[in-house]
Amino acid sequence: MLEIKNLHARVDGKEVLKGIDLTIEPGKVHAIMGPNGSGKSTLSYVLAGREGYEVTQGTATFMGENLLELDPEHRAALGLFLAFQYPVEIPGVTTTTFMKTALNAIRKKRGEKELDPASFLKLQKQKTAEIGMEPEMLKRGVNVGFSGGEKKRNEVLQLAMLQPKLAVLDETDSGLDIDALKVVADGVNALRAEDRSFLVITHYQRLLEYIKPDVVHVLADGKIRKTGGPELALELEEKGYAEYTGQEEAA
Amino acid sequence: MTGATTAKDEGFMQQGEPLAAALPWLEDARALEKPAAGWVNALRETGADSFAHTGLPTPRWEGWQYTNLRPLAKHKFHYDPAPVNFDAAALPAPLLADAGRVVLVNGQYQEKLSTLPEGVEAASLMEAAAQKWPGIEDQLVRVGDLAQTPLTALNSAYLKDGFVLRVAKGRDIEQPVEVLYYNIGAEKDAQAAPAIYPRALYQLGENSGLTIIERHMGQGVYLANSYIAAAQDSASRLRFYRFMAESGDAFHFSNTALQQEKNGYFEGFSSATGGAVARQEFRLLLIDTLNSASIGGIYLLDGQQSHDFTILADHFEEGGKSAQHFKGVIDDQARAVFQGKIHVRRSAQKTDGYQSHHALLLSAAAEASAKPELEIYADDVKCSHGATSGFLDPVALFYLRSRGIPVDDAKDMLVESFLNENLEKVSCEPVRDLYRAQVSAWLAGRRK
Ligand SMILES: Nc1ncnc2c1ncn2[C@@H]1O[C@H](COP(=O)(O)OP(=O)(O)OP(=O)(O)O)[C@@H](O)[C@H]1O
Ligand SMILES: [Mg+2]
Repeated sequence: MLEIKNLHARVDGKEVLKGIDLTIEPGKVHAIMGPNGSGKSTLSYVLAGREGYEVTQGTATFMGENLLELDPEHRAALGLFLAFQYPVEIPGVTTTTFMKTALNAIRKKRGEKELDPASFLKLQKQKTAEIGMEPEMLKRGVNVGFSGGEKKRNEVLQLAMLQPKLAVLDETDSGLDIDALKVVADGVNALRAEDRSFLVITHYQRLLEYIKPDVVHVLADGKIRKTGGPELALELEEKGYAEYTGQEEAA
Repeated sequence: MTGATTAKDEGFMQQGEPLAAALPWLEDARALEKPAAGWVNALRETGADSFAHTGLPTPRWEGWQYTNLRPLAKHKFHYDPAPVNFDAAALPAPLLADAGRVVLVNGQYQEKLSTLPEGVEAASLMEAAAQKWPGIEDQLVRVGDLAQTPLTALNSAYLKDGFVLRVAKGRDIEQPVEVLYYNIGAEKDAQAAPAIYPRALYQLGENSGLTIIERHMGQGVYLANSYIAAAQDSASRLRFYRFMAESGDAFHFSNTALQQEKNGYFEGFSSATGGAVARQEFRLLLIDTLNSASIGGIYLLDGQQSHDFTILADHFEEGGKSAQHFKGVIDDQARAVFQGKIHVRRSAQKTDGYQSHHALLLSAAAEASAKPELEIYADDVKCSHGATSGFLDPVALFYLRSRGIPVDDAKDMLVESFLNENLEKVSCEPVRDLYRAQVSAWLAGRRK
């Protein structure tokens, strides 16, 4: 599904990713943990194609295509989804309009028929209820006046609507209360499928109790320093990252 | 009431050298046939004298730093008082099916093409003057300081065309009235081109109500220099919507003056899409107590267009409320100007004044200039203003694209959402939809 090889990337002239290797098979859930500023969000932005994130070396192949050559919207149509660590407010565009435009743009690119307004609203109503979002909020500007937790729910609503092949969740758990965390995790688990993968970026082992990862990676200073099973998350919770940040000098 | 203000010597001496000799502009003015009404002649004389002194304003003039009239020199503009020939069938269809209509072609009132709802009356300016419609002399000569407004002086020098429209006391007219100012100009590269000087007056009787939809449009090269007055008697309500969509080779200068007696309500809105060089000036005079006047607008500019909104909200007496809210989008090398002033006189206590201007630049060469001004002499007032200009938010754009929305659609969405906030201020829904459609059409046009 996704194969990243020796990926180096720069932001504002600063090298942030220093040779990432990561392969995600269909149906798998990978988790990435790592200290603040280690490059987790940068990796997610590079995958989604954000401007200003300059790849200097390496490759990324997604669904058999050279991901790095594509525009952000093409990556989305190909099945990549990024739940933002800091979702963006867009005043003047309602969530409903935004969702309808996005879903139909993706369907069109995939050669599928656009959804008629009634089917769209029905689908959105169902998903909104599942995520536990107030339908009223769909009429507001995208994320405008939403609390931190509400913004994260809105990301998961979009995920559920767009049904991507690979979802990258960047700290979707931060800012959520315990009940919301369960709702969000249920939403993600409901989407788990043989042909759908997840890359879950988190600081907390707790999320991984709800969304059981197949593989856990430690990202520190722009590189994956260790890869293991779910037990690695428990170990990190206990010992912290000292062992990995120390590697900087040795490398 | 005062008569026309005469040019004060110190007024134009401060302004520096005139841009171009005034005389070519005035060569036919003094030859106009003299009408019966003496005040018309007097105003023409005053206008011509004032303009002969000042000529056109240059960028060294206060208030004219940002709009340069030099491009006018590419043509020789000439006023023609003879009736225009045109094909009525080729005029644009009305915007709203059930609206009344007034048609002016090159400033000349077309009685046969005009239809008005019951309770509304109109006549050409010369006709109304000859019939001595009450109030018009007073309302039309109150033009402010002509030495500071040379284009209005020029319009006064040629006072002849245009019309008066009045709503009787107590009548609340539901049907909007569309006023089409249609201008037929010269071929694009022609040297000689028409100068058009309409003057309009909207008179609202006590406790009456009216909705006006003005459209300024045309073809080819011309100079449309209009003076438009709205006189609101006590407790009247005027909704005034404008579409300034002149030909891309045309020059548009309009000076719109609102005079409110007590308890008036005015809601103005204008969109600017047309013209090569244009300036829309609005002077809102809240003369008596408890008036409310708002003026909003959007502009959509591209190519080499230059557009200027110059606004004055002038509070004379207590308890007035005024608002100016402007937003616009600028592409290519186009430039936009916003000059907004709130003037609160000593006796205008408890005034509430608001002003905002936000420009969205779609290209690196686009330019926006803003000059907000507060001049407050009363102590118990609430006034605020804000101005910004910036580019599309790249993070918002990325967010939309990351959800699969193609980059051009995403940009359009952001532009529309930016302008929508202002369009919400238009209380007449069918008109708000017309503005929305205009924005969509403009965006679609950019894609080609
Ligand atoms: N636009 C930018 N300009 C300069 N430096 C940047 C920019 N964006 C990110 N960085 C730097 O890149 C590094 C990695 O940032 P990134 O956001 O990827 O970290 P992270 O692992 O997601 O951290 P956190 O856990 O705090 O979210 C940091 O040192 C950050 O300061
Ligand atoms: Mg991060």
